[in-house]
Amino acid sequence: MASKYLSRRAFVRLGLGAGVLGASAGLGLWWLRGTAPEVQGLGVLSAAQYRTLAALSQVHLPPCPSIAISGVDLDLARLFDTYLFDQPPADQSEAQLALQLVEYGPLLFDHRLVTFSNLSADQQLAHWTGWSRSSNATRREIYWSFARFFGLAFYDQERVWPAIGYPGPSLARLQK
Amino acid sequence: MSEIVDCSQWGAAAQPPDMRCEVLVIGSGCGGATAARVLAQAGRRVIVLEEGGDFVGPGRLTQRDLAMYDQVYADRGGRTTACRSISVLSGRVLGGGGVINACDVVPIADETWATWRKYFGIDAFSASDIAAATQRALTDLSANPIAEEQVNKNNQILRRGSQALGWRGELMRHNRVDCKGLGSCLIGCPVGAKRNPRMVSIPLALQAGAQILTRARAEQIRDVRGRQKTVTVRCLDAKGYREGATFRVIADVVILAAGPVGTTTILKTSGLGSAALGRFVSLQPQIPITAVMPEVVNAFDGIPQAYAVTEFERHDDQRGLTGFRIEPIFGTPGVIGSLVSEPGAAGKALMAQLPHFAAALLLLPDEPLAQIRRNWRQQLRIEYQFTEDYRSRARQAIQAAARVYLQAGAQVVAVPTCPALTIRSERDLAQIDKISLDPATLPLISAHQQGGARMGPDAETSVCDLDGRVRGGRDIFVMDTSVFPTTSSSHTMAPVITMAHLLAGRLAAHWPQTAS
Repeated sequence: MASKYLSRRAFVRLGLGAGVLGASAGLGLWWLRGTAPEVQGLGVLSAAQYRTLAALSQVHLPPCPSIAISGVDLDLARLFDTYLFDQPPADQSEAQLALQLVEYGPLLFDHRLVTFSNLSADQQLAHWTGWSRSSNATRREIYWSFARFFGLAFYDQERVWPAIGYPGPSLARLQK
Repeated sequence: MSEIVDCSQWGAAAQPPDMRCEVLVIGSGCGGATAARVLAQAGRRVIVLEEGGDFVGPGRLTQRDLAMYDQVYADRGGRTTACRSISVLSGRVLGGGGVINACDVVPIADETWATWRKYFGIDAFSASDIAAATQRALTDLSANPIAEEQVNKNNQILRRGSQALGWRGELMRHNRVDCKGLGSCLIGCPVGAKRNPRMVSIPLALQAGAQILTRARAEQIRDVRGRQKTVTVRCLDAKGYREGATFRVIADVVILAAGPVGTTTILKTSGLGSAALGRFVSLQPQIPITAVMPEVVNAFDGIPQAYAVTEFERHDDQRGLTGFRIEPIFGTPGVIGSLVSEPGAAGKALMAQLPHFAAALLLLPDEPLAQIRRNWRQQLRIEYQFTEDYRSRARQAIQAAARVYLQAGAQVVAVPTCPALTIRSERDLAQIDKISLDPATLPLISAHQQGGARMGPDAETSVCDLDGRVRGGRDIFVMDTSVFPTTSSSHTMAPVITMAHLLAGRLAAHWPQTAS
């Protein structure tokens, strides 16, 4: 009669198997994501997270006829990193986790063997739009967190104002 | 005359001196500043702690979104409910919410007082006490009606549309004096036109000898049942990001006025409060709605909120204020951009029409069902459940606002859902019934948090007694919007100043025998 307990050998085999599987999955994810170019002067984000966020800012605020300046032109990803640097560690970790989810979003939610940064611009827009309309509340929460930041940071920039017809802070206009 | 001391001068290495006072007030907003001033004028030695900095004048109030949200709002403007559906906005600046609000003066209605008396046992204030305290609040605020010539195009459009529909509305009262119509009220008035606590009660408190400490965060009250309470205070750096040295303030009386989130947090940390602490919170989530008009509106200039559609505001005998009201709103471009729901070129194309925007907020009083808690990592969590009643009123409010704007000639009315709901004619209004209001489907805004340390005669369902005294502690009081049992008004500035006059006036008149 077989023992209902695992033998020591079986336990070790199982452990090794799980380890190999985990390492393979990790390597697979790393390979899928690819190497992000090095970025100087980041406070919190890794180069890969910066790349994800930069892609996200570009897809959220792309260059277009109405407003030519884009999220990447204003380096919103670095602005977010600067903001994050002064946030509590728990908030930093949460934001980093959110960026990981976005990066692996196509794999996790669309079951495609590709990561966000490696999608084409059109595919990125379709995927990111999917987050905003998702039935999954966490994806919508992440969407709105970044959308709010991008909107606030982008339209606060003087370079954007001429395109949106904002003449600048009213006190300076009053004093002219 | 006393002075304002900036505690950021003490780095982590330096040790600030401990302090003593009769009254320590935690929070310098409408409740705290009023209480501090009343008690200082009554001859008490008062210290006020404020976590934020002192922002006065154009050099500090710059009319720029990122910098101002970072510095004058709690959690750098990033505080939300746990479900991320609602931005929970409150001031973190000397003068508190009064520095960053839209200046609307709407006192507590007689019907609300009647509800509180009948269903929540708040019978400690006579009609004449209430009338006198309300009058004092209105005087503090220099409350005055907004003049016709101050009504900007954004407000005129809402009035035009609602009047065409035959709906009731009114020009509101405000607390601006010599307003220049700069339009950046939500990130502070650089010319000091707001008669807010920073401009009224704080100078009066200083004149009466109160000492004000900025960049000073109260962390915990110790010896809560002792005659003298010790409050541990953490100095923050110049921007309020990082913690520095700690010191102690020893006080006979402690008054909490840090808003529902701050007050609840300090009471919890201090081991005070009943099971009701952090419960019965009302957030009044407001819904933004935008219309694109054929004419240039330039809503970013002028007084943002001047006219209110009050046709649908109701009073329920048991629940208090209900229904909804529609009020125009606008701000600087960053805050408007943060509410755009569509990603990509569609969102930008909408923002490119900014000068043609008319915009409003739909103000919906809610039932006090939210909770302020801390999770296992001791992180703040504000939990909110949308009731069916709220969802139903929200859809009615969106319909009503859309009808007003269509009536006023809007080309498109945009509701910032995902996907954005665009209404071009009355035929499209039926789509509004499909709005789910599920978490994170619409960017909602809470500017009027109330409850969490509600007052009442019953220890099971309230935290404070009818004097605002926290049960289980000795001479520890709450004097901010936390004490309200239900939503007090569509705008909380006048209500909280009224309540602070009532409670601080009573404390000054009946100084605890056991205190010094």
